[in-house]
Amino acid sequence: MKNQFLIFILTIVLLPSCMNEPATQPNTHEGNFQSLWNIIDTRYCYLDYKHINWDSIYTAYHQKLPSATTEVQFFDLMGSMLAELKDGHVNLYSDFDISRYWKWYQDYPSNFSSDLIYTDRYLGKNYRMAGGLNYGKIDNGRIGYIYYGSFSDAFSDGNMANALNSFSTCHALIIDVRDNGGGSLEVSKQMASYFFTKETVTGYMRHKTGDGHTDFSTPVEIVTSAHKTIQWQRPVIILTNRMSFSATNDFVNRMTQAPNATIIGDKTGGGGGLPLSSELPNGWLVRFSSSPMFNAAMENTEFGINPDISVALSAADQANGIDTIIERAMASVK
Amino acid sequence: MKKIVLTSFAFLIGSILFAQNGENQKYLLTTRTNTVGLSLLSLTDPYLSPLKYTGTGIQFEHESRRFLSISNTHISMQSKLNFEGGFLLNPAQTSSMTYMGVDYSWGMHYHFRPMKGLLLLAGGTCDIGFGYKDVPRNVNNPGNVDLATNLNLSGVAVYDIPLRRRTLKLRLSVETPLIGWMYVPLAGASYYEMFMLGNLSNISHFSSIVNRRGIDPKLTVDVPFKSSVWCFGLGYRGLQYSANNMVFSRNEVSFLIGTTFDAIGFGGRKRIAPKNFISTNE
Repeated sequence: MKNQFLIFILTIVLLPSCMNEPATQPNTHEGNFQSLWNIIDTRYCYLDYKHINWDSIYTAYHQKLPSATTEVQFFDLMGSMLAELKDGHVNLYSDFDISRYWKWYQDYPSNFSSDLIYTDRYLGKNYRMAGGLNYGKIDNGRIGYIYYGSFSDAFSDGNMANALNSFSTCHALIIDVRDNGGGSLEVSKQMASYFFTKETVTGYMRHKTGDGHTDFSTPVEIVTSAHKTIQWQRPVIILTNRMSFSATNDFVNRMTQAPNATIIGDKTGGGGGLPLSSELPNGWLVRFSSSPMFNAAMENTEFGINPDISVALSAADQANGIDTIIERAMASVK
Repeated sequence: MKKIVLTSFAFLIGSILFAQNGENQKYLLTTRTNTVGLSLLSLTDPYLSPLKYTGTGIQFEHESRRFLSISNTHISMQSKLNFEGGFLLNPAQTSSMTYMGVDYSWGMHYHFRPMKGLLLLAGGTCDIGFGYKDVPRNVNNPGNVDLATNLNLSGVAVYDIPLRRRTLKLRLSVETPLIGWMYVPLAGASYYEMFMLGNLSNISHFSSIVNRRGIDPKLTVDVPFKSSVWCFGLGYRGLQYSANNMVFSRNEVSFLIGTTFDAIGFGGRKRIAPKNFISTNE
């Protein structure tokens, strides 16, 4: 009996050592390379969707590893490897630099000039500011205009209610989210809720469930509810460009399902993968897309959302102080 | 008002008379121990990082114990409340983690007295624990919650070491989880997906020694001084649990100091409880 009790106690003590904790790589260039490659291999969500051969990227970059003798060279090499993913949500953070991939907007026309929207033709200088909303009436008071530059700038229902109340005599509303690089998905949901009249499934989200490139969870619905007390039921026009990214991409995706909404401008920049982060043995942080988001038709939104009406900012108009995209939006309101 | 004063006075007189008449009456004492500790802490939380974070922590624990009834001095009830906080760093010291936790347990023990000066307690406890780990540098996974409830196997050995002027009590307590329930987040999913979009599948897990193992031995010595008993000790907490393809671990060594006393203020060498007061230390 005594022996059995002893065996039981020893089992309890020794069992923890039996649960397999994954081994961490050593803090060397080789170890950090292996760690980074493995994180992307097992947790990045778009390898298959983007037809990326991550194994061949391993071979290509592993060969270059001996040539990276300093920390900066090693960082640049790892940053270049991550850039192969062509994803604005992928970054490597060290204490001396942040690697990034910005071609998702740098390779396209900007279609936005903040100088233009603050001219007297549009917002002027006496526009109002509430939360992150810069708003005023344009087109001789016919249309309400809100410029919203970041979904990280939270605003309250009261902020929006005041803005919409000031537009009570307007025929339509323009929400300009050009150059809005994203922020909080909750704020995106809040912003969209003012333009829905009923609960609507506007998209889906999945996440990686295993190490395999196709190991994903069952899609979960992304629902946009109608705001209980604040609802704009007249036409609303969303202005977009390539820098409308991440949470802004999510907002535009939601608004494609809103009644009375029209998307005008350029295709959004995408960023449909919700990013998470992990760490390398040397303490560098890696951010990567982990949970792909889809539109209501279960199509991936990683590469952006096409507008209903595609309009580019013309250089000639810009030179004359005219924002072609806002003008097109104004013209669409009868 | 007059009635209340008169009633209170009558009750007070009655209580005194009752106390005088009941000198042989036995009363249950509650033994309370309050300890504070400084810990060396290491945590692995793969939801937040694949790296092991290490650092220091502080903890406070309140423990109370009393027998079930005067007629039954073999079974005691124990309750414990533990608060803990810690600040940890990753191995490269480029990222920090803040940990806050609270744990409450309640249980019962059977008292064995195999020989003079040795007291053995064996029993079980049930506990519920909540903790929060915060890694502010992370993106969309900046924090994680520990939430679990367990049935534990528990044992205590108390050995009296008589010295010339005082008797020390050497106490070794051990607890290990057997079965329970635990919350574990979905690997690769954000809290946004779990709690805003409502994807709560697979966050709730039955736990047993297959997927949750731990042990927390604590060795303390009670030293009676003139009018108080101080306890000094060393504690270890080891816990490892796995679910959703992740293995979490926690290791902690604590240096403890505290006081232990029987309620109603008996304790020390000079303030010994009368024979009719029964303490779980006896």
